[in-house]
Amino acid sequence: MTAFMTPPTMPPMPEPALLTNPSAQRRNPLLLVGGVIVALIVATALVSFFWTPFPTILTDTDHLASPPGAGGHLLGTDLYGRDIASWLMVGAQTTLYVGIVAVGIAAVIGTPLGILAGMVRPAWSEFLMRITDIWLAFPALLMALIFATVFGASITSAMTAIGIASVPSFVRVVRSGTIVVMNADYVLAARVAGRRSPAIALKHVLPNIAGLVIVQCSVSYAIAILAEAALSYLGLAGGPTTPSWGLMLFQGQAVIAGDPLLVIWPGVAIGLAVLGFNLFGDGLRDRYDPRLSGR
Amino acid sequence: MIRKRARLLVSAAAVALVVSACTAGAGLQPSSSTGDQSTQSATGGSTTPSGGSGSTGTETSGTSGSSSSSGSQPAPSDGTLTLGLVLEPVSLDFTTQSGAAIPQVLLDNVYETLVNQAQDGTIVPGLAEKWTVSPDGLTYDFTLRSGVTFSDGEPFTADDAVFSINYVKTKWTVNVADAMKVVASATAVSPTELKVVLSHPDNLWLFKMTTRIGAMMSPKHVDKLATEAIGTGPYVFSNWIHGDSITLTRNPHYWGSTALEKTIVFKYFSDPTAMNNALLTDQIQVITTVQTPPALKQFDDKSKYTIIDGTTNGKVMMTMNDARPPLNDVRVRQAINYALDKPAILKAAWAGYGTVIGSHEVPTDPWYVDLANRYPHDVAKAKQLLAEAGQTHLTLTLALPPVPYAAAAAPIIVSQLADAGITVKTTNVTFDNWLAKIFAKPYDYDLTIINHVEQYDVTTVFDGTPDYYTQYTNPKVAELEKQGLEGDHATFIADFQQVMRILADDAAAAWLWAFPNLMVADANVRGLPQNAIGESLNVFGLYTS
Repeated sequence: MTAFMTPPTMPPMPEPALLTNPSAQRRNPLLLVGGVIVALIVATALVSFFWTPFPTILTDTDHLASPPGAGGHLLGTDLYGRDIASWLMVGAQTTLYVGIVAVGIAAVIGTPLGILAGMVRPAWSEFLMRITDIWLAFPALLMALIFATVFGASITSAMTAIGIASVPSFVRVVRSGTIVVMNADYVLAARVAGRRSPAIALKHVLPNIAGLVIVQCSVSYAIAILAEAALSYLGLAGGPTTPSWGLMLFQGQAVIAGDPLLVIWPGVAIGLAVLGFNLFGDGLRDRYDPRLSGR
Repeated sequence: MIRKRARLLVSAAAVALVVSACTAGAGLQPSSSTGDQSTQSATGGSTTPSGGSGSTGTETSGTSGSSSSSGSQPAPSDGTLTLGLVLEPVSLDFTTQSGAAIPQVLLDNVYETLVNQAQDGTIVPGLAEKWTVSPDGLTYDFTLRSGVTFSDGEPFTADDAVFSINYVKTKWTVNVADAMKVVASATAVSPTELKVVLSHPDNLWLFKMTTRIGAMMSPKHVDKLATEAIGTGPYVFSNWIHGDSITLTRNPHYWGSTALEKTIVFKYFSDPTAMNNALLTDQIQVITTVQTPPALKQFDDKSKYTIIDGTTNGKVMMTMNDARPPLNDVRVRQAINYALDKPAILKAAWAGYGTVIGSHEVPTDPWYVDLANRYPHDVAKAKQLLAEAGQTHLTLTLALPPVPYAAAAAPIIVSQLADAGITVKTTNVTFDNWLAKIFAKPYDYDLTIINHVEQYDVTTVFDGTPDYYTQYTNPKVAELEKQGLEGDHATFIADFQQVMRILADDAAAAWLWAFPNLMVADANVRGLPQNAIGESLNVFGLYTS
């Protein structure tokens, strides 16, 4: 983010139409690969709303931890005889939901706070940032534990905790972007013209830092997916019948020596999703980062 | 319980000869069990021992599969054995702290009781050599062993026994101490004679004296129970690294034969996979409780590992809130029982280890009646009962405490109940919340899964009054239990069998399986108790070959 801090002024942000600019995409394989992976996950999740090979609830006790193909189970079954392929599909829903909740909370709280911190007087800004530092020092897992105890262990409560814990990173990124924008000539001009701060924040700052926020969302999305996997693993997310890749990992780890496939399938899915969102985020950053865009 | 085997060798050569006559130098062969079992059946079913050495002789049989026969008793060694456990105690004081973790380490190993339970559940001498019960069932006269000392060197006398019994009545704050309320008086007739008078007959009192409440303590040390443990047992408490392990070392002044292994370390693991890995990498020698039976495959190599599959007193059950609609309708509870395919649940959740049960009992209970097939898997019948009860679109919540068997059983239960048209939502609850909201008032739950580990706890869990989280109310059950506890032996057994049938007929819960005593040990570890009978993990007979 230091790229935004160093130049005294900053060229106006390119139009948001970039994503649809074919020439830009061709120059940006990261964005393409990440986008394809993300699109695949979204498509899988959508399909799973209407169709899965087997109901995820069904336990086929005649086929426990069976290899791919046995009993009509494409990828085999887990320890309780549930169809792995169906679980992976519905698990994609959970993965997307997780990201939307966690990133949504972080962005909705973090972006205004960051803009505020970038626009107020330096003393207030410092004060806000120190509060953010304290916030950042509070472990996300501990917060998830507290939420699970108070509100009951569920994916929503776990992800609310992760979302709240991700707020500081949004505040920091948005604040640095805001400071850059606030030093731009057009903002000075707007000020001279008598525009009030809220109007400047909406008309000038927000559109110009939108790219930054989108990149941060994408990166946070990957973190949220990992956090959900970790929390499911600790039994702090949904119950044992809520399909989730993290839960599959947890349930399979006990037999990792005998039936490694039970861990490999969800492991690959989580790895792909995190890779996809990270690549997507990196690609977007490359597009929006003025220093890198000419590469 | 294994300790008796060693004790016997020292104290009763005649019986040892009988046992070794069967084995005749057969080394590790468990063939002595044939001889032992005949002795067992002679004493079995009775709560009065036939005599000191005679009944101790029966105890080799239960462990014979994993321990050497008496013919080749190894010499005591200066080695260390490390055992892997799950639940670490909070303090060493089980007079004020509930839970199984403390007695698991200290009972029988450090603190001893007047009477013990053999592997077959019969009561055998401990610190009391023998005892008599008056015909009215009110007066117990114990003859205590002489020459027994506490590990601080003080002699153990009848005065200490009187003190210990009265201390339970007056100072213990945990629920289990209630079992001592029935004692009207305890008097020391002489240093080795103890007389206990009950206020009313209680067929379970002597059994309860084998548990932690029967622990004999020294009056001099009760003010430091949380950090010290001074008992008469074969081991002394030596060290506790909080969050890691508790170490016991051999008591050199033990009144019986010397413990075989000098040092025993109880090492605690919060993660079952970590415990499995510790055994695979030789950091521990025994997994004392297998948390993930499907993972046992990695210990299949019999030249390296022994898998012990015995019994416990644990009853894994899906508790139903019997007072909350629609579960207060017996037809709904019966429908749930019909909808469950219990053998399939056991197979998928616990790799088939354990025994399917149909009431609040385990096969080793003296009143055991096999009700496992009281509700055969019958989805049509379940649907019909639900229709009769007007509950064709039933949705229930299944609250899961953080225990592996609950998480393992839940997916199969949810799937099977769905077949019968019952929608079940699962939620994870922390153990604190489980204890505070489900196990205690307001009993806020529909269904939950828990393993009731205590022996003969039907009088607590289903006492017929709505004062327990099962919320099961039936005056007939309360009456039968009272009458059984106070009646003669035949009445006792008959009444409790009747209670078991009523509970099953009323589908007071959905009992799933009798929890197995599943352990994995290095192949050279001998003397592990096959069955977990009492509250302790008895390490007296443990050694490595």
